[in-house]
Amino acid sequence: MDFKQGLIIVITGMLGTVGFSLLFKAPKRRILLNAVGGMLTSLVYVLCCMNFEHEFMQNFFPALVATVYAEVMARVVKAPATPILACSIIPLVPGGKLYYTTYYFVISEMEMFNSTLTELLRIASGLAVGIICISVVVHEINRHKFKQIIDVE
Amino acid sequence: MEEKNQNELEKVLSLALDLGKGMVQCGAEINRVEETVLRICYAYNIKKTEVFSVISMVYATVISEKGETHTQMRRIYSNAPNFRRLENLNALSRKICAETPDIDRARKDLEKLLGDKRHFDVFICLGYIVAAMSFAVFFGGSLLDAAAAAPIALILYLMNVYIKSNGVNRLFFTALSAAVIGFLAEVFVHFGFGHNADMIMIGDVMLIIPGLMLINSVREMLCGDVMSGLLRLLESIILAMAIACGFAASMLLTGSIL
Repeated sequence: MDFKQGLIIVITGMLGTVGFSLLFKAPKRRILLNAVGGMLTSLVYVLCCMNFEHEFMQNFFPALVATVYAEVMARVVKAPATPILACSIIPLVPGGKLYYTTYYFVISEMEMFNSTLTELLRIASGLAVGIICISVVVHEINRHKFKQIIDVE
Repeated sequence: MEEKNQNELEKVLSLALDLGKGMVQCGAEINRVEETVLRICYAYNIKKTEVFSVISMVYATVISEKGETHTQMRRIYSNAPNFRRLENLNALSRKICAETPDIDRARKDLEKLLGDKRHFDVFICLGYIVAAMSFAVFFGGSLLDAAAAAPIALILYLMNVYIKSNGVNRLFFTALSAAVIGFLAEVFVHFGFGHNADMIMIGDVMLIIPGLMLINSVREMLCGDVMSGLLRLLESIILAMAIACGFAASMLLTGSIL
């Protein structure tokens, strides 16, 4: 991936995030915040694509960064983190891979179907693990706070 | 006195569950919904609450100090991300927990938040178009592909407003959307409006593909909510199959015409 391609991905990733923020009916005052998140995520994604071969790594680090961003910003603007995360992570959603997987399935190219499906699963698990690493920590902190006022197992 | 107390308990439970249902419908995480219900019940001095939620229902039992139990459940049929409402509901639940207002007043606030329904929204329409255009380029298409993706996104939005809101079967609707995307993309490319049909399709398919749902399901399962994670995973697989069927139909159609 060269510089120009990377730049295109960062810009379109940001615009796509804005589009999805509108589509998800995010509050208007959060759109800039989401756009920065989407840009940051696609920037890290481009950098990871240049440095790592494996799909897991290419998606793990951007997801990690997006989750940290969403959690920090949620504290800053005092809003739930999920909407910010859902919008910022949009550029990583494997829409293309999912499309090709279904496409190969339809035209019954089973070998290609298998390889794209494995890639898709690698991407999805990379994303999920990236998000989990942060949200488990946040969840533990929250639960600790919650435990002080109410006794939950 | 006792009569009133019981009534009060039911009212608190009802309020908490309606709020929880609203949050699930707007796309909140399951553990957040359960926590909200717990917190609201706790704020109204109910010492013991058991709550369980998956994406299609919320279910809770409260036990009063005298040992009476009250159980209610809410069934959830449809959900679509609506983060503006989610944020408002979240703010309301915080307010309820902090101030414990009169239950009837809290309910009136909740009804007001759940009530605002709008049909056609220019901003969402714009969102569809911008998202489709950007992702057509994001995945390697040209600017002409992005231009071709825009009218298809507009049609998708109109379908969403005028067909989906009438309660059409979700699978059928998804397959129909995929078929429309595939058909129009092929037709556009055939007449020289766009270079790569698959880039146009990917850009538009991002709007209906359950990619976010897939990520959320894996995430929920890893967090311990295996039940709702599995439901979400199955739903996203079934939706992906519906998209595949829609593409198959459009390929057959364009193959025989063009």
